[in-house]
Amino acid sequence: MKTLYVEGNTLLHRLSARVKLAALAMASMLLFVADSPVLLAPAAIAAAALYGTLGLGWRNSWQRLRAILLTIVIVSAFMLVINDPGAAATGFFRLTALAFFAATITATTSTGDFIATISSAARPLERTGLGRAADIGLAIGLVIRFVPDVLGRYQAIRDAHRARGLKPSALTLGVPLIILTLRNADEIAAAIDARGIRGQNWDKDQR
Amino acid sequence: MDIRFEQAEARFEGRTILHPLTLCLFERRIGVIGLNGSGKTTFARMINGLVMPASGRVTVNGFDTAKEGDRVRAIAGFIFQNPQNQIILPILKEDIALGLQSRKLPKQEIAAKVETVLARFGIGHLAERRVHELSGGELQLAALASVLVSEPDILIMDEPTNQLDLKNRSLVERTVERLGETVIVISHDLDLIAGFDRVLLFHEGRLAADGAPAETIGRYREICSP
Amino acid sequence: MSTRDLVLAALFAAIIVALGLVPPIILGFIPVPITAQSLGVMLAGVVLGAKRGGFAVLLVLVLVAIGLPVLSGGRGGLATFASPTAGYLVGWFFAAVVAGYLSERFVDRSQSGIVQITGFFLAALLGGVVVDHGLGIIWLAFGTGTGLSTAFLGDLAFVPGDVLKAMIAALAGRAVMVGYPLLPQRV
Repeated sequence: MKTLYVEGNTLLHRLSARVKLAALAMASMLLFVADSPVLLAPAAIAAAALYGTLGLGWRNSWQRLRAILLTIVIVSAFMLVINDPGAAATGFFRLTALAFFAATITATTSTGDFIATISSAARPLERTGLGRAADIGLAIGLVIRFVPDVLGRYQAIRDAHRARGLKPSALTLGVPLIILTLRNADEIAAAIDARGIRGQNWDKDQR
Repeated sequence: MDIRFEQAEARFEGRTILHPLTLCLFERRIGVIGLNGSGKTTFARMINGLVMPASGRVTVNGFDTAKEGDRVRAIAGFIFQNPQNQIILPILKEDIALGLQSRKLPKQEIAAKVETVLARFGIGHLAERRVHELSGGELQLAALASVLVSEPDILIMDEPTNQLDLKNRSLVERTVERLGETVIVISHDLDLIAGFDRVLLFHEGRLAADGAPAETIGRYREICSP
Repeated sequence: MSTRDLVLAALFAAIIVALGLVPPIILGFIPVPITAQSLGVMLAGVVLGAKRGGFAVLLVLVLVAIGLPVLSGGRGGLATFASPTAGYLVGWFFAAVVAGYLSERFVDRSQSGIVQITGFFLAALLGGVVVDHGLGIIWLAFGTGTGLSTAFLGDLAFVPGDVLKAMIAALAGRAVMVGYPLLPQRV
């Protein structure tokens, strides 16, 4: 699967994921405290400029941000009609700024860095017995690994419909897709345990 | 290497799948045959503690599968029927390294071990490939590599040539022949086990024959003929 | 969490991601294409129960956050959480947990088919429509400053489609329960 990360060696690429995420959290708080278009418009422009320094090009940037920018525009237009122009402008600039900041971090942080950061942030959770930090990386890997399999299975079920002259429906596609996919869980789980991937003592919480 | 079953019995939801069995294995090449549902896969899974005995016990090199599962699984690797389900991460190299993760080795050492094991099966060129793009034969070799990277002494394989074409089948057969480890193979592929040291035949949850390949396979044919 | 639970959640997350990549499904009785991903979220709860279903959806959200374009239309990345509609996305997690909890609590294998389907429908409706839309409206109202009534009005347009999805989730959930039961039972 192609990620939205873009290879590069800018200052933003070199900053640790932890610092970037903390900065984003800080920025979003400030953006919500600032309640006037006079403050938020420059923030949005600054965020867009920061994103611009990545040099992704207009087309690529538009593809990445089309869905969210359109949603912001629609909601702001809605507000302009029902609420008042001030509120519409505030909402528009605030969310646009946030979207550009967030997209900048996404483009400059690799999935590996993210997973490492999430795993280390989750380590305190281990003491609560909710799960193991290393399981997060394993689970993410499993999802990415099995998406193509699920798609292949979906295609096969669709073809089976066609071959038998049946009209595909959400039900007749979905049910076999779920059952055929989940049926592999036992063997995949056994393989993980047999290879000792989750380390010691996994069998203690098998019950 | 020594595997012992002492009156070991397997039950599932109240049904007996494998009747109490006492047996000692020490040969280097062991085949396991039998009809579908005869208990042979359960037998194999009991060796590395994926199935625990309901009564009696199973030990591998003296370690009890019920008490020291982690030790047993480090000694006995298991290769599943469907290699598709054995490979867990999206990129082959990452997946092979996963088996070493819990050992907390330095990064370079892991990389070196991964490279060695891939080269051993002639699939070094596939290291960076996406797992779902591999062919059936490549997947089977990858599954072998994923288990052997953690250096088990015993390798248990559940129908390794089941879904392969003739070319890949002979590739896997040759690979199995060359393995230095003790190998226990469950198979319907009678050619594969014909040259083995010992073959076990399971029938209706019991050990029906045990000995040299020729006689056990002969007994199997008798059971199958109407 | 046992290895099997972890794998089940990961496989369901893979199903939800895949549902965003396949062409929209046309329902038999209404000529409107639906995006199947939110249907997948309801199904995660109904099929796997609260814990595993919730974890499956959480995994999808983590994939979005770390920059994988796994939402329908190739959307993804942290910016998705800055969208005016991000409340619906975050609400997915709570939707799966609530639908899962209610399914575990009120549906069991000994009931008749119609009771099971009704139970699953109410579970999916409460999780996927009440909880998810509730969070969506709150985020839209306060995150963007539209105010509750405006947000509620905008939300209404999407209610019929999601009620329909709850129906499909109920039928599919019951079919999976018959074919390959996984739902934990809570007494």
